[in-house]
Amino acid sequence: MRLVQTLIVVLISVMMILDSRMFGRLNFERPLLTCTICGLLLGNLQVGLQVGATMELATLGMMSIGASGIDMNMGALVGCAICIMTGADIETALTVAVPMTLLCTVLDTIASVVRINFTHMCDNAVDAGDFAKAKRVDIVYGPVLYVLFTIIPVFLSVYFGADFVQSIASSVPEWVTSGVSLGANIIAFFGFAMLLSTMVNKNTVVYFFAGFLLAAYSGLDLTAIALIGIVLAVIIYTVKYVVVSNRPAVESNTSSTLDDLEDLDN
Amino acid sequence: MSQKGLEAQRNTPLNKKLKEIFWGAWCMQTNWNYERQMNTAYMYAMSHTIDRLYPEEDEIEKKKEAYRRHLEFFNITPQCAALTLGISAAMEEEYAADPENFDPSVINAVKVALMGPLSGIGDSLFQGTIRIIAMSIGISLAQQGNILGPILAALISIFTSAPITWYLGKLGYTRGQEFVRQMSESNLMEKVMFVCSIAGLFVIGGMSASLSNLTTPISFGETFVLQNVIDGILPKAIPLGMTWLMYYIIKSGKVKPMTVIIGCFIAGIILNYFGILAA
Repeated sequence: MRLVQTLIVVLISVMMILDSRMFGRLNFERPLLTCTICGLLLGNLQVGLQVGATMELATLGMMSIGASGIDMNMGALVGCAICIMTGADIETALTVAVPMTLLCTVLDTIASVVRINFTHMCDNAVDAGDFAKAKRVDIVYGPVLYVLFTIIPVFLSVYFGADFVQSIASSVPEWVTSGVSLGANIIAFFGFAMLLSTMVNKNTVVYFFAGFLLAAYSGLDLTAIALIGIVLAVIIYTVKYVVVSNRPAVESNTSSTLDDLEDLDN
Repeated sequence: MSQKGLEAQRNTPLNKKLKEIFWGAWCMQTNWNYERQMNTAYMYAMSHTIDRLYPEEDEIEKKKEAYRRHLEFFNITPQCAALTLGISAAMEEEYAADPENFDPSVINAVKVALMGPLSGIGDSLFQGTIRIIAMSIGISLAQQGNILGPILAALISIFTSAPITWYLGKLGYTRGQEFVRQMSESNLMEKVMFVCSIAGLFVIGGMSASLSNLTTPISFGETFVLQNVIDGILPKAIPLGMTWLMYYIIKSGKVKPMTVIIGCFIAGIILNYFGILAA
């Protein structure tokens, strides 16, 4: 039973890693989606949704662009799977996710050395006129390496980690788990701030406060905030680029109406 | 110079070429490496065009040269790669048709000139705006135990990414260099960035107020409950303060992300233990 469950998680992890490699990053690597699918397939959708939402929130701001940023996706999936398989609290998922993320960073450093060698293999194949091999290195070797470096740690940690985690989880006092939960809430703000720091400048900071104040005072949910934000952006775009380019016409109109009014006064 | 390759390239249906560009763009990170980043993926995506253009045995040097050209350093938001792939394919075709007068180094020059600005737009559009909107809607529904949340998030992601990639590929291949010139004349990059940053920042503002909550349990007796005072002045003032505290930590550039994450957990345990903050 555990083996079957572990293999299901491994399959989800394959989807997770290939999402950014071969599907242009459709967000199927994100905790919200991987954990939901994990919950669905392991038979506890509610836990999947809860862990997915919590982990997505904590990592929302962490853009995984190229080599920068931290990839907590694998940690989230493994944490969610262990949570469902052992019936532990959602806080357990968080406790598992952080060391898994560290492990991922180490493993990816090793894999990146191999990938540089792949690039050189590609160069040599082209020099030798073996174009089929050059293509194979990119479209087969590359993804296979990524998949291997994902499924091996996922399999080991889910299959053997569950017992280990359960024994720790049952011995941890309540003040630690609620503290970890508070910590996850604080990390979410680190994520928001990371997003903020890539987009904000003196001229645009006002839109951050507009969104914040609207949400804080009205209590509207984020779907409403997002839609209002898009409409606002279109309005400001229109004012800045469309109206401005028509301004000469507008000005001449207003001045002519003023003239008309003056004429009337006379 | 044989005309056979050129004929083959010109007789290939447009949709087939666009499909190659589309999948080539989505597979941009198959072999991401620190040395030349997306180079082998770019070569793979271009290989279909190059193979068609140089089918003969005696053209193998030309073919090698073209492969090497696309093994140079490259990095971009995958969806946006469709645009440069389209342009490169069109230019390779032009070069094969008129090798005497066409300088092949221009092909790479265009790629390099485009990857910076296109990544800027692409990352703020896909990672900074679409993903944020999709995921924040998804999270708020999933927190209520509603599976529609993740489903909506997935649909929003797919039905923005796929059409944009397809359209960029088509634009690049059919309008190519003309488009590059127009783009720099009409400030298109600047306009897209402007709209993205407004919508994105608005949502980030809303997010810091509603997605994650921090409150304080501090109170003196029955009468003075600090959280009530805060709510009377500016609800969510603590989340706002925390967002900007984190912002200045990031801006200082002195702390590594992993340190912050571990620090957050330690701070969480301490603040929770002494009853200063609660989730």
